[in-house]
Amino acid sequence: MTLRELLGRLVTWRRRDAMARELTSEVEAHVELVARDLQHQGMPLDEALAVARRQVGHVGRLREESRDAWGFPAIDALMYDARYALRGLRRAPGFTITVILTLALGIGANAAMFAVIDRLMYRPFPLLRDPGTVNRVYVQTTYRGRTSTSSTFPYLRYTDLRAATRTISDFAAQTEWRFAVGTGDAATVRKIAGVTPSFFAFFDAPPSLGRYFVAAEDSVNGPPVAVLSHRFWATELGATNVLGRRVMIGVVDYTIIGVAPPDFVGTVAGGPPDIFVPLSSIPANLGASSVASFRRDYNWDWVQILVRRRPGASQRDVSAELTAAYIRSRAAARAINPRVQPDSIAHPLAIAGAVKTSAGPDGGAEGRVLLWVAAVAAIVLLIACANVANLMIARVIRRRREISVRLALGVRRGRLVGQFLTEAMVLALIGGAAGVALAQVVGVAIQSMLLPSGSSFNLATDWRTMGVALSCAIVAALLTALGPAWSASRPDLVSSLRSGTRDAMTDRSRVRTTLLVIQSALSVVLLVGAGLFIRSLENVRAVPLGYDARPVIEAIADYRGYSMDSAQSVVVRRQFLAAGQAIPGVVAAARVNSRLFGTNTAQLRVNGIDSVEALGRFNMQITTPDYFRVMQTRILRGRGITDGDRGGAPLVAVVSEAMARALWPHAEPLGQCIHVGLGANPPSSAPCTTVVGIAENTAQQNLTDDPRFMYYLPAEQVGPHWLSTIYLRLDRPDARGELERVRRALSRAMPGNGFVVVRPLQEVVDDQSRSWRLGAALFTAFGGLALLVAVVGLYGTVSYSVAQRRQEVGVRIALGARRGNIVGLVVGRAIRPVAIAVLVGLAISWAVAPKLQPLLYAQSATDPQTYLVVAAAMLLAASVAGLIPAARAARLDPCTALRAD
Amino acid sequence: MPDSQPPLLAGTLDLLILKTLSLGPMHGYGIAQHILRLSGEALRIEEGSLYPALRRMQVKGWVASSLKNTPTGREARYYKITAAGTRQLATEEDQFKRSVAVTTRVLRGAES
Repeated sequence: MTLRELLGRLVTWRRRDAMARELTSEVEAHVELVARDLQHQGMPLDEALAVARRQVGHVGRLREESRDAWGFPAIDALMYDARYALRGLRRAPGFTITVILTLALGIGANAAMFAVIDRLMYRPFPLLRDPGTVNRVYVQTTYRGRTSTSSTFPYLRYTDLRAATRTISDFAAQTEWRFAVGTGDAATVRKIAGVTPSFFAFFDAPPSLGRYFVAAEDSVNGPPVAVLSHRFWATELGATNVLGRRVMIGVVDYTIIGVAPPDFVGTVAGGPPDIFVPLSSIPANLGASSVASFRRDYNWDWVQILVRRRPGASQRDVSAELTAAYIRSRAAARAINPRVQPDSIAHPLAIAGAVKTSAGPDGGAEGRVLLWVAAVAAIVLLIACANVANLMIARVIRRRREISVRLALGVRRGRLVGQFLTEAMVLALIGGAAGVALAQVVGVAIQSMLLPSGSSFNLATDWRTMGVALSCAIVAALLTALGPAWSASRPDLVSSLRSGTRDAMTDRSRVRTTLLVIQSALSVVLLVGAGLFIRSLENVRAVPLGYDARPVIEAIADYRGYSMDSAQSVVVRRQFLAAGQAIPGVVAAARVNSRLFGTNTAQLRVNGIDSVEALGRFNMQITTPDYFRVMQTRILRGRGITDGDRGGAPLVAVVSEAMARALWPHAEPLGQCIHVGLGANPPSSAPCTTVVGIAENTAQQNLTDDPRFMYYLPAEQVGPHWLSTIYLRLDRPDARGELERVRRALSRAMPGNGFVVVRPLQEVVDDQSRSWRLGAALFTAFGGLALLVAVVGLYGTVSYSVAQRRQEVGVRIALGARRGNIVGLVVGRAIRPVAIAVLVGLAISWAVAPKLQPLLYAQSATDPQTYLVVAAAMLLAASVAGLIPAARAARLDPCTALRAD
Repeated sequence: MPDSQPPLLAGTLDLLILKTLSLGPMHGYGIAQHILRLSGEALRIEEGSLYPALRRMQVKGWVASSLKNTPTGREARYYKITAAGTRQLATEEDQFKRSVAVTTRVLRGAES
């Protein structure tokens, strides 16, 4: 297009209506001139005019063709179509609202799932420079066919892996802790990130204030310096000039040297850190032994590693080089501790994987469930599209006469199809906008299930999710416009002009029935999934835990470096427990060393058994006498721990039933000896600890596949100066309401700057069943949604076909059909496609079942009962959807029905 | 209307219209009549092609139009060729002649 032409088009576009009028008058003049010539040849005037008109053809078509040269026909047509579509939609509010709602549900479900999954797994951390070249380091060992993945390492492993410089240009290490920040009453527990100075170089994030720390400051002897997160600085310190000010983090006094920029969160999962400090300054908060040992041994996994690949190095290259370095590092570790397994047994492997651990080699059950639910959301959208396409075809059939007239008037078919597409697009865009609003609500709900500490979830500024929602809308528009476009592009002009909408229905209703079968079948699949997840969750809930955590509060005392010798420690800890026991409403309290699902172990030796470790993991709880009362764990035989089990008395232990059976399958466990390697005592020289009681099995390691090997030792015998955590049982079924009261009472009992963190123990238990709850909730929500959409679609189709067949029904009634027959006829017609759909849906479920199986607990993915219930529910829903129009048909007055049209 | 009207070669409609208008301003009907007459009643320009073509050429700036009264007193739109149109006519005429010459030469060669 030349510039001149462009200008010409612009000018004509602006006055296109005037030009259309001019063309009309010009053509009329032309007709007159032709007629006059004909008249000269002797034709009568009116006949000449008629001939001339026929010869010139239809003005409308001429105008349509001329328009191509004017202005910008595509834009013109689009705007015209959009206006036309809006007008048409306003005239059919019922249709419009149904379609928009249906699409909003479908698009909203997808937008929400995308937003959640993107945040959890794929979206790069903000400000990370060139995120495609950054990886997190994972290692895997495979022992006896079981692969375990880890992304936390000893500090020494980090320094060892830094040898892999051929493929890696930059290394950084980070670690996350929760420490008390501030002093006195203002002290709060905050998330602290310990990072190497190289960490900041991974980002394009110049500090808002001051500077980041340098290598010299990342050492145990370096001056403790801290960089605040922008949020902490703004909300806690009023965004004032804080450089040089002191902040007490845990037991260390840090000097503030900088403030990170607003969006900087590092690469920490789930909630940004409040303060960044040098990695090497972290151990000072964890006790003198940590400071001494972290650069000397490989015993403590606490740092996470980020690497930046060199240009041209693939993840595979980096993984290979890291694996070599990892194997060398294991050899170095073996030189210190010979118990490090040989590589031939452990099959060590290092992997440069996703920065977000949920997208890493072992993303966890939540990630897998979410990906399933994302597939479910896509199916919901498909169902919604099938439904809308169905409604649109119905609408086209209703508008047949209008369409035929327009075709007869010279509208090109392309334009007609364009109009359907525009209409579908308008609907899908409105539906998409409503869907994003819906996704905002749903996404917050899902996110709160995943991350109890709510992080931000705002879709208005989330262009990735917006893009996905828009793509969904476009796909939906294309899918839904397909049917009507096809339908309208092959009308039989003459017959539809003559007969209106009455006949030529049959083949179109076949398309609609197919759509109905597809959407019903997909609904069946989703409902089966929902049923399986619900039953799986029931099974998880029905797992005997061996304790009742609901009335229990976990309270962790942080003495914040309050200096005590071990005698004082014993006293302080006894006082803390006594303070807990004295709180009104507290029935019983006990000190513990192992927290639920965060258990400790020690090396065990039992006479007559070569390797106790080969039997599995034996969890150890060091506790005080009331423990079994607090947890409501029954002592099955023998006795629990008593006040008499103190230092100097014979060493005793209570073991779980499963442990007793595993160690002494054929002997009386009471009175047996176990040798516990604690502290300086290796198990070979450890004294005999006598088993005095058998406790019921408890789930302490995880809910489902924990062998439940557990033993309990009296705190007074093992470590009276340890154990900063207490469990308190309250006199009410749910402890959640008492949290603050208990925290305040316990805080008063703390010496120095110490403080207390409390948490309902049930929360810890609930975390364990999260993936099942997530699956059950989302599958149920989406499955229900799909069922609803399918039933509405079914209802629409059936009532429509009833309306179309009024005459037939009228004839039947006139010929003596009874109401019951009519109802049976209509309902039967509604049920037939659904019956097919049920079979198809069940077959699909059966085929997909093996893939879903690993996410279920004690629940077969091909459970016949679930399948039957879903089939029955679907057929019942179909009958209900058919009954209403059937009743309407049965009430039909044959006289009016036959006379109509 | 003769049944055996030769089909209009693609792209020649613009050329014919421009050539006709180079004789002087004319309304649409006049253009059609002129071409019909000069072609010995062999080329009937369909109104359905003529007016869209005129609109297209107007947008391209090859012709301009204004309302004038016909000799019979009716108001009609008269088209006249512009300077750009004259240049376009020369180019198209030249192209057409060359293409006819080349095509004819090939046809002749194939016959002999």
